[in-house]
Amino acid sequence: MNRRNFIRVAPMAGGGFMLSFSGFAKAITAVTGTTMAADAVLGDFLSVHPNGDVTFKVIKHEMGQGVTTSLAMLFAEELCADFRKVRVEFPAANPTRYPESTLGGHGTGGSYSVIQMTPILRKAGATVREMLIQAAATQWNTTADNCYAENHFIINRITHQKAGFGELAIEAGKLPPPAEPKLKSRQDFTIIGKGQYSKTLPLLVTGKHQYGIDAKVPGMKYALVARCPVFKGKLASYNAAKAMAVKGVLKVVTTKPIAGVQGPVYPYDIREGVAIVADSFWAAKKARDLLAIKWDEGVNGTRSLADFEALAQQRGEHRTDPVGFTGDENAIANIDHVKQSLRATYIFPYIVHSILEPLNCTAHFKGDSCELWLGTQWPEYIIDEINRLFGLPKESIQVHLYPSGGGYGRRAFPDAAIEAVQISKAAGNIPVKMIWTRDDDHQTNAVHPYQRMDYEAGLDADNQLYAWYEKECRTYMWDRKFPATELTTNGYNIPNIRYDFEDLTNDSILQSTAWRAVTSNGWALSECFIDEIAALLKKDPYEYRLSLLKEGREAHTGRTDKISNSRLIGVLKLVKEKSNWGQPMPPGQGRGMAVYPYGNAYCAIVTEVTVHDNNITVNKVTCAVDCGMVVNPSGARNQIEGGVVWGLSAALYGGVPVEKGRATAGNFHQHRLMRMNECPDIEVFFVETEDTQPWGLGELANPVVVPAFLNAVYAATGKRVRKLPCKLDNV
Amino acid sequence: MAFLHFTINGEAHSFEVDAQMPLLWLIRDYAGLTGTRYGCGIAQCGACTVHVDGKAMRSCMLTCGLAAGKKIVTIEGLSPEGTHPLQLAWIKEDVPQCGYCQAGQIMSAAALLQDTPSPSAEEINAAMAGNICRCGTYVRIRRAIRTAIALQDKTISHEQA
Ligand code: FES
Ligand code: FES
Repeated sequence: MNRRNFIRVAPMAGGGFMLSFSGFAKAITAVTGTTMAADAVLGDFLSVHPNGDVTFKVIKHEMGQGVTTSLAMLFAEELCADFRKVRVEFPAANPTRYPESTLGGHGTGGSYSVIQMTPILRKAGATVREMLIQAAATQWNTTADNCYAENHFIINRITHQKAGFGELAIEAGKLPPPAEPKLKSRQDFTIIGKGQYSKTLPLLVTGKHQYGIDAKVPGMKYALVARCPVFKGKLASYNAAKAMAVKGVLKVVTTKPIAGVQGPVYPYDIREGVAIVADSFWAAKKARDLLAIKWDEGVNGTRSLADFEALAQQRGEHRTDPVGFTGDENAIANIDHVKQSLRATYIFPYIVHSILEPLNCTAHFKGDSCELWLGTQWPEYIIDEINRLFGLPKESIQVHLYPSGGGYGRRAFPDAAIEAVQISKAAGNIPVKMIWTRDDDHQTNAVHPYQRMDYEAGLDADNQLYAWYEKECRTYMWDRKFPATELTTNGYNIPNIRYDFEDLTNDSILQSTAWRAVTSNGWALSECFIDEIAALLKKDPYEYRLSLLKEGREAHTGRTDKISNSRLIGVLKLVKEKSNWGQPMPPGQGRGMAVYPYGNAYCAIVTEVTVHDNNITVNKVTCAVDCGMVVNPSGARNQIEGGVVWGLSAALYGGVPVEKGRATAGNFHQHRLMRMNECPDIEVFFVETEDTQPWGLGELANPVVVPAFLNAVYAATGKRVRKLPCKLDNV
Repeated sequence: MAFLHFTINGEAHSFEVDAQMPLLWLIRDYAGLTGTRYGCGIAQCGACTVHVDGKAMRSCMLTCGLAAGKKIVTIEGLSPEGTHPLQLAWIKEDVPQCGYCQAGQIMSAAALLQDTPSPSAEEINAAMAGNICRCGTYVRIRRAIRTAIALQDKTISHEQA
């Protein structure tokens, strides 16, 4: 690494100056010896203003998971900044300046931002701090050892002289950066782990926070698209005469279907459609309702959800080869050992995201370049796909990044951006803001993959869980190539575990995509099956789980992170202690438990329900979380609370009904979500750890609360509901 | 098309618009006040909540024709400095996640507190049931409303003292 390029001072428009630095870049080596032009390839998180204010650039996507604040905290902690003087800013996408390999890139998903950015940002903050200290020491004719940083000042231990960051920044920027800056130790933290106000709060409560849907560009028009109501259908013909007669309508153009990249990355789908371009949203909407369109509905036009599920059942019941196993792959059929067996099938269905800010993108295709304005979890993917599909050089594609009103995985895909670029181009290279209506969102969108989990457990003569078999059928592969040796099970100590998988992608009647916690949603339903085994054995579900875990044991499931039995035990004990577990309840009420990891974070939940005339009320949810170091306690709790509500919405109301290829639930009156009057009390407790590494938790709670809820319904009613949405009338 | 007059946050505005257009789009795209949000367009989510003559209304279902001449207040006009007790309480309780629903939540809560200064838990739930928060911040919204009531009471007793 060329350390001289690690940090530099560059003149800033408006008379300030800027400290730019880059972490550990390969890119840096490549520019060794070049001059100011090298700035373009320097990662750049920070600028210091003459008054000492620090602007921190948030390169990850803010979609409600709170990275703006947590990343700023990580950086400010090592810098010893006054957190109130740290402002945040969302820079335009720049894959060259922010390469994924070294600075993390813009890609935001998998609850990965704090995991990935913690080492980068702490080192970056410490680097700048040491340079400020050195600058002060030089100015005061003393050694760096005699100086320290505190609350936005450098202080001389001997003389008590003080200098602000703003005064020192220019001189500091001229110094060579330290090779190995010293990180603070955890007991010296004043920002991390302490209550901090979210950096976006003042804007949020006054309505000033800008989302992609608020972008305004000179000359901008509005676009709405009538998309084929059937997945994989095509446009046959259309008549726009009535639509064109609506005042304010400028153009009617078509958008092409695109079955996105099927290779090593993440497939997506764009349905063919007819787009109205008008001078207002309202004119576009009125005109769209007047379009006469004939669709060629294709293979899915006659299929319903029931047809698809019958097929999934066939595939689920049919035996295949294992893709992963521990112990004996055929143990479940070993009659010498298995004296009693139990089977159950659980289904996590298709579910829409219902991101409250619907998909939208403002795009301006200009012939040899293009510009976009939107909130996206993955601008690099957009740039790659626009390059591939429209032949524009990557450098000519400019993506202005906005926070968004919810992402949950859906905004990781480039489809909305590509649609908007198609429309802008077809309309004659004018800027257009394309918005999906809520009905569009619920009826023509990509959804959570359908996951069918077929479980079988084999108990031996001593009622020990000897064999666990499970088969998953799913409508999305991710970038996995099966057979892989991955197991979906929890970290339980079971001697023989077997996992089979079948891919239903080609049979799916809807496009599947990333949906908060992705595959863990189906996988965590194994926590219901564990509950069934405990019930069969007449064991307390908590005690039964503990009996399957061993302090110190680590389960290798083929995932990056091994599953720590100690940490599973830790969250289970904590949730038991905090939840009245084991206290008697009146008839019609029940308590259910579940525990599951996400990445290297762990969560156990106890849910309490009341069931009256088959109506389920969720009274209370208690969560215990081990996510390593908690960066922002309030934000962390918020993510768990929100995950609980998210999971309960899925449990109570999830699922996409499909008839004749059409998703029939339109707006929120047909597709319900949990509302305030249904929302239980939610309590969240964190396991105290010595860790200095945080593990992401935006996707941790929702897969766990679903089995905890279903297990509570069983405790209250004696009925096992094995499919979402949870409807007791059908059982 | 009609030439209509509106009072939004105390300011007079006139636009030539389709009288059937929902007020939401006038507020957002004509008056440029983007704090009022589109979430459903059919009065199901509350993201577009504004005050019309002091009452909480879903601006996505109210036509410009009907709103013309009325006093409209959006989140930007709730308090000049952003210091309405609810806004302060929202900050104190660190309510939002993505924040997209929150302007609507605050406007619904403000109308509630205007009519019912000390609502019961049930009254809070009932008044707020029309506002969806996809991020699931309901427990914080409830807490923040109670905090705002306390702040309000403090101000009142302070004023009386
Ligand atoms: S946008 Fe008006 S209630 Fe949803
Ligand atoms: S904070 Fe995201 S929808 Fe309410």
